[in-house]
Amino acid sequence: MAARVSTSGAALLASLGALSLLTLTYGQIALPLADTVGALTGTQSSDLARQIVLEIRLPRVAAAIIAGAALGMAGVLMQALFRNPVADAWSLGLLAGGQLGVALTVTAAAFAGPAAVSFLTFFEGPSITLAAAAGVAIAALAMLALGRRVGAITLLVIGLMLGFTSQGLTSVLLHFAARAGGRVYGGWRDASFAGVAPSALAWLSLPILIGACVAVATAKPLSSLLLGETYARSLGVKVTSLRYAVLAATVLLVAPVVAFCGPVSFVGLIAPHFARALAGTARILPLLPLAALGGALLALAGDAIVHAPWEQHFLHLNAILAIVGAPVVILILIFSPAVRQWR
Amino acid sequence: MLDLRSLAVGYRNTRGTVLSGIDLAAEPGDFICILGRNGSGKSTLMRTIAGLQTSLDGVVLLDGEGVASMRPATRARRIAVVLTERQFNPGLRVEDVIALARQPFTSWRGGLTDDDRAAIADAVAVTGVEPFLRRFFTDVSDGERQRVMIARAVAQTPRLLVLDEITAFLDLPSRMEIMALLRSQAKQKGQVVLLSSHDLDLSLQLADSVWLLDGDGGFSVGTPEALSESGSIGRAFDTEAIRFSPSQGRFEITRSVP
Repeated sequence: MAARVSTSGAALLASLGALSLLTLTYGQIALPLADTVGALTGTQSSDLARQIVLEIRLPRVAAAIIAGAALGMAGVLMQALFRNPVADAWSLGLLAGGQLGVALTVTAAAFAGPAAVSFLTFFEGPSITLAAAAGVAIAALAMLALGRRVGAITLLVIGLMLGFTSQGLTSVLLHFAARAGGRVYGGWRDASFAGVAPSALAWLSLPILIGACVAVATAKPLSSLLLGETYARSLGVKVTSLRYAVLAATVLLVAPVVAFCGPVSFVGLIAPHFARALAGTARILPLLPLAALGGALLALAGDAIVHAPWEQHFLHLNAILAIVGAPVVILILIFSPAVRQWR
Repeated sequence: MLDLRSLAVGYRNTRGTVLSGIDLAAEPGDFICILGRNGSGKSTLMRTIAGLQTSLDGVVLLDGEGVASMRPATRARRIAVVLTERQFNPGLRVEDVIALARQPFTSWRGGLTDDDRAAIADAVAVTGVEPFLRRFFTDVSDGERQRVMIARAVAQTPRLLVLDEITAFLDLPSRMEIMALLRSQAKQKGQVVLLSSHDLDLSLQLADSVWLLDGDGGFSVGTPEALSESGSIGRAFDTEAIRFSPSQGRFEITRSVP
């Protein structure tokens, strides 16, 4: 099993490297591979090539990889915590909750006056991330409370509906915020990795890094929780504190993604299933790196298709992810034995 | 080894106290069956003994140490449980389920040492789950599932094994096999095995000692023979329609059935 994990990990890593390199070469202006590599390594390359690769494409590619990895790991945590094969930050409404958190903060600042808006703009990275984290955490707590009362599929439907509600409210709020002069944040109601400025990459990755560490630390007791709460307790797991730790890791992983990339759908839902298939186990620790790599690959592939040299820019990231992701979810709903028990 | 001292079990809500004033002891190698009708408090008692529920009064001591005050990790090394509750475990294989038993003994990563592997191999061998180790836990039959959960409990190498109505869904041969297996575990490893069951026949044949709950908060303890002869079993289980016959060791129907 360990061999399976490292082999698939290496294969995923190689694919991720190759796809990153490919994505860096194309766009509005096609660059030969040699120039791209040259720009990356700082050796022989034109200034233009260096500017395009390092300042425009690399931040986007990096954001896709970091966000994809975070969503993949969060998916593993949530599917284990909810014992629900279709749980993830998007499907259970955590991403939409985070958006609503940001929208509320921006609107409040807009109505509070120009000082609040400029404060928010100046500290955009941390303030938007914090606002998103509050929204994600509230949504996650609500779903956790609900998850103990309803079945997996009911929870999925409720999560999606709450997501729609939050998105509707977000849209209305941002409209009023804009009229009150609070245009702190725009264009991120749809998911995209292109809007992440190089300076924002640190704010994106730092909470995710901490979240990943917490996830790894909770991996062992979370594996026990797969047997159910009572068995986990009989194996020495402090279930309540474990729940909060996993929830904290999820918020740390997901909030920066919402704040900087918007509601990236399906990645977190599918990546854990690929990881389980590759690892041949459901134990959490080996799943985390595989789901991170798988999520990164999926997110980057979606971004690569969006930014392929089309005649005009017409594709949305979530459209691509939905075309790939929704059929996979349908297959899971039909064939997963875990889901079958809930019908 | 296992001591219950003026133990009262139950809930701090409207259900209230279920059983109280329990003073019992068990020695290494004891195979004990807890008998009683539905709702007589078997599960509550077992959960309290296993440290999964706090007692209302009194203490449960294992090797002189209070189960309730033990650190969860320590308790997990000494007490293993098997319950009827069924959970679904997406993607979990039978071998994963059994390996999880070693978590109280492993480092933070959960990697297995040679000792852990030996304990797992032994549990797999005695319970005969080898043929379906690689299958998904959700895909095995009821009987196989119980066997896997018992293998998991055995692999935990506990001092005390607590099993709650584990034979309920099994056919007669499987029930006999599992009860005999647990009895031999108790004898060979010097563990205390505590098993609740509806299976009066088998329990009376195999148990060293029976803890009988009469359903009204009362209980009696003794060897199967003593309890049959004193009429305690009859008092706990008899209804208008059936009656326990001490001489035959089984129930008889008292009214003629049309």
